[in-house]
Amino acid sequence: MVNAFHPETLSKALEILAENPCTIMAGGTDLMAQKARGFAIRPVFEHPLLFINHIDELKQISLEDNEIHIGACATLSELLESQLIADTFKDVIRQMASPPIRNLATIGGNICNASPAADTLPYLYALDAQVEIQSQTGLRTLPIREFIKAPKTNGLQNNELLTHIVLPNKEFDINFYRKLGQRRGMSLTKASFHGLANVTNGSVTDLCLALGSVAPTIVRCELTEQLLIGQSFINIEEILPTVLNKYSEIIKPIDDARSTAKYRKEVSIRLIKNFLLGLGK
Amino acid sequence: MKENISQSIPRSDAKAKLRGETKYIADIPFDKLLYAKTLRSTKAKAKIRSILLPKIPDGYFVIDQHDVPGKNRMRTVVSDHPIFAQDDVQYIGQPILLVVGEDRETVYNILAQIQVEYEEERPLLTLEEAENSSAVFTDYHYDKGNPCAAFQNAKTLIEDEFATGYQEHVYLEPNGMAAEFKGDTLFVYGSMQCPFYAKGALLETMDLADDKVRVIQTTTGGAFGGKEEFPSLIACQVAVASLKTQKPVMMIYDRMEDILCSTKRHPSKIRYKAALDENQQIVALDIDVLFNAGAYNGLSPVVLQRGIFSVTNVYHIPHLRVHGRNFMTNSVPSGAYRGFGAPQTIFGTEMMLYNIAVKLGIEPLDYKARHLLKRNDPTCTGGRIHDEVKMFEILEKITQMSGYYEKIKHSPKYHGIGASLFLHGCGFTGKGETVINGAIQLTKKNQEVTLKVSSVEMGQGAETVLRKIVAYTLEIQMEQIIFEKTDTGLVPDSGPTVASRTTMIVGGLLQQAALEMKERWHEAESFEVTRRYNHPDFLHWDDQKFHGDAYPVYSWGANVAEIEIDPVTYELTIKNLYGVYDVGVPIDLRSLEGQMQGGIAQGIGWATIEVMETSQGRLIQTNLTNYKIPTAMDVPEMEIEFISNPYEFGPFGAKCAGELPFVGAPPAVAAAVSHALKKPINHLPIRPEKLMEIDNEN
Repeated sequence: MVNAFHPETLSKALEILAENPCTIMAGGTDLMAQKARGFAIRPVFEHPLLFINHIDELKQISLEDNEIHIGACATLSELLESQLIADTFKDVIRQMASPPIRNLATIGGNICNASPAADTLPYLYALDAQVEIQSQTGLRTLPIREFIKAPKTNGLQNNELLTHIVLPNKEFDINFYRKLGQRRGMSLTKASFHGLANVTNGSVTDLCLALGSVAPTIVRCELTEQLLIGQSFINIEEILPTVLNKYSEIIKPIDDARSTAKYRKEVSIRLIKNFLLGLGK
Repeated sequence: MKENISQSIPRSDAKAKLRGETKYIADIPFDKLLYAKTLRSTKAKAKIRSILLPKIPDGYFVIDQHDVPGKNRMRTVVSDHPIFAQDDVQYIGQPILLVVGEDRETVYNILAQIQVEYEEERPLLTLEEAENSSAVFTDYHYDKGNPCAAFQNAKTLIEDEFATGYQEHVYLEPNGMAAEFKGDTLFVYGSMQCPFYAKGALLETMDLADDKVRVIQTTTGGAFGGKEEFPSLIACQVAVASLKTQKPVMMIYDRMEDILCSTKRHPSKIRYKAALDENQQIVALDIDVLFNAGAYNGLSPVVLQRGIFSVTNVYHIPHLRVHGRNFMTNSVPSGAYRGFGAPQTIFGTEMMLYNIAVKLGIEPLDYKARHLLKRNDPTCTGGRIHDEVKMFEILEKITQMSGYYEKIKHSPKYHGIGASLFLHGCGFTGKGETVINGAIQLTKKNQEVTLKVSSVEMGQGAETVLRKIVAYTLEIQMEQIIFEKTDTGLVPDSGPTVASRTTMIVGGLLQQAALEMKERWHEAESFEVTRRYNHPDFLHWDDQKFHGDAYPVYSWGANVAEIEIDPVTYELTIKNLYGVYDVGVPIDLRSLEGQMQGGIAQGIGWATIEVMETSQGRLIQTNLTNYKIPTAMDVPEMEIEFISNPYEFGPFGAKCAGELPFVGAPPAVAAAVSHALKKPINHLPIRPEKLMEIDNEN
């Protein structure tokens, strides 16, 4: 038997969590695949299930103080339909999974699953997204990079729930996202790159680069970004070898069923190079 | 009713399938049904020392080798695969025993508690290892002309080598089978291509008389060769389980189990030595074909035969030395898959010619055209091309459609265009049709005619096409033709649903029977007409020497692929794919166009994104998360045309069509990639990972 809780409100959900260790089930698109045991066999869960994907408070998307607040149980399809979500982010989401899965899968689930190949993460890292974590005893906020600890490991305590994702409400002059999969649609990412930049008068005024699926967690290097911000396009060409060396050190991919470490590393470097050299074009 | 046979009509199975009303084996209810699950080897090669069972609850059973009443080997071309492992296991995934019972979860839990003690042995893991150890299952040779002299007199000698990988069928419906006894008669139901193959296997394994076994094909959700021989194994397993438990037993695979343990396309290595004369014409080839058959030989000898008999493709090569070998490795057995060995050898030959042309500075398609077979030319096995060859018409059409000659001259960097020419031998190889000696029957009752064949509908449209052939011949309505249930107790053995033989061979017999029925239509309210296959007199085949007509006739085709490679990521985009085919006379244009598109898509998959590798004998890609087949987004725009070339012995002039499109797409794509990068492409699949490496080499 599978024991499950189906609370109607967030506070009720937090109350349950305070009393029982639970396996939190949002859309279930990762969890059910991970727990699959075979044809027509029920999955086995160590803890009771806590269903949260129907809770209204966790599905709202709102604009407050020029920040976008996204409920953790907003589905990928709901994000695509929302007028508050930047096109830059929608470009990312449209390349995830398939329409039926996007109708179920939630942004919170994609984050909490903490896969190195999670497709919402490079963008969220690039925008320095914050996550709101609630328990019965209170609310805490963490930058996304501190929330994601390691592959499959997030920063939630047993009694906590990821409730919201907070993003600055901004778009960039230049947005370049590239997801590489084994095929064009319905494919897990073997490497991804998100480059965002603002440029004025031949110089870079703002820039963030994030890479997915090429290290245990998303790769972003503010120090190197700082090196690039303020530079003219011509200077960028000059410091490019230093920049690429830096990324080469921190990109640590693996060989797996989907691709090779060698390709992942080289393609990442090529995408960074291509993006930086293309800024002036 | 007298209409153009090529004009499309609705598929008779489409409505129910689209509405989700069709019942597959897993949907069929049985009273007191027990479910079975297989315990599989976790070792690539080992002796089984002991099997430790937990306490088995009442109503639950363990079924193993000791329960097999007859032969514990699956009957096929080489009957070497044990139904249940005996003292040893030869590959990861090999079935050892079944756990059977009413509740699936309990069955799973019992299975998880079984402990097998193995004594591991050193396995042969790769084709290279197998070759070095001479682990040969099958070794074939044939010569044509005088290859020794031709090589001695050659002006130029060129060598080349090619390799291709595994391919999984990914039929929509995984394998599934059920068995029950009614009295002393065994009934086996399931998803399959060849009910009489399953029956033959059951007779030997169950040690039952011919009239005590009935095999009933349930709606089959795709097969592509993957349900040719493999279902016989599951059929025998559930039958043994049903005998022991005296209850109906069903076994349904989930996707991962299906991928892990069902047959695959043979990985291959093919080596060529080409002798060129002073005009740069290929006068002789020495070809060495190596297939990885996996742990058991099974059907592999006949796969290898088609491979080596297709090896000169559409070309006239006067002198040949052909060597073909199936190697044993401790991996999942390879088996039938659309094309049946020919896609590997035709890929090799197409790219070998392409590479030579590039080396010589001759336009590849022109170079290929210089070597084309013509009517009355000898085939590679010394038979004849008996029918008209319309390759020049095909060539003219495809180069116009695609703008080939313009584009090959003016392609920007990382853009490429490539062409392939190809054929497929129609029907069984060699004496196959004579041995099977397929029979069909038409039964008239009042105004209705029942069509009885063992050829199955498996999503390819056989039911519609065969009914159409009969209806159009009799000049009556489609609705008056009833397709008899594919039940070995009700239909004659018209042979297996394989080798692109259904329309041409079985449809041909049906048309002959329908013509007779038409003449005698008013003779009686009810009567039967039966027909058996007769091999045309002019065809000769020596099965010992591999000499003569390996196939009665060939279907032909050409593809042109246009591709683009992303210079940053090396991702490959196939932009357009053109196909011109000679399949005799198309029996139903829409249905055929679907076959061509599907074959191209599957061929593209094998050529580009379908990566399947092993590590220490274990498959790395075991589910659809990491084994990817093309989606609509990966498949190019396809422009497809047919040219008419009626075949005297085919119904309404039809030849074979099902496998032909698979064969053509991979070499066309590879040639286009080679054109774009100016580097030879000798390996499939062509992954971005590989392209980046190739382009970085200088």
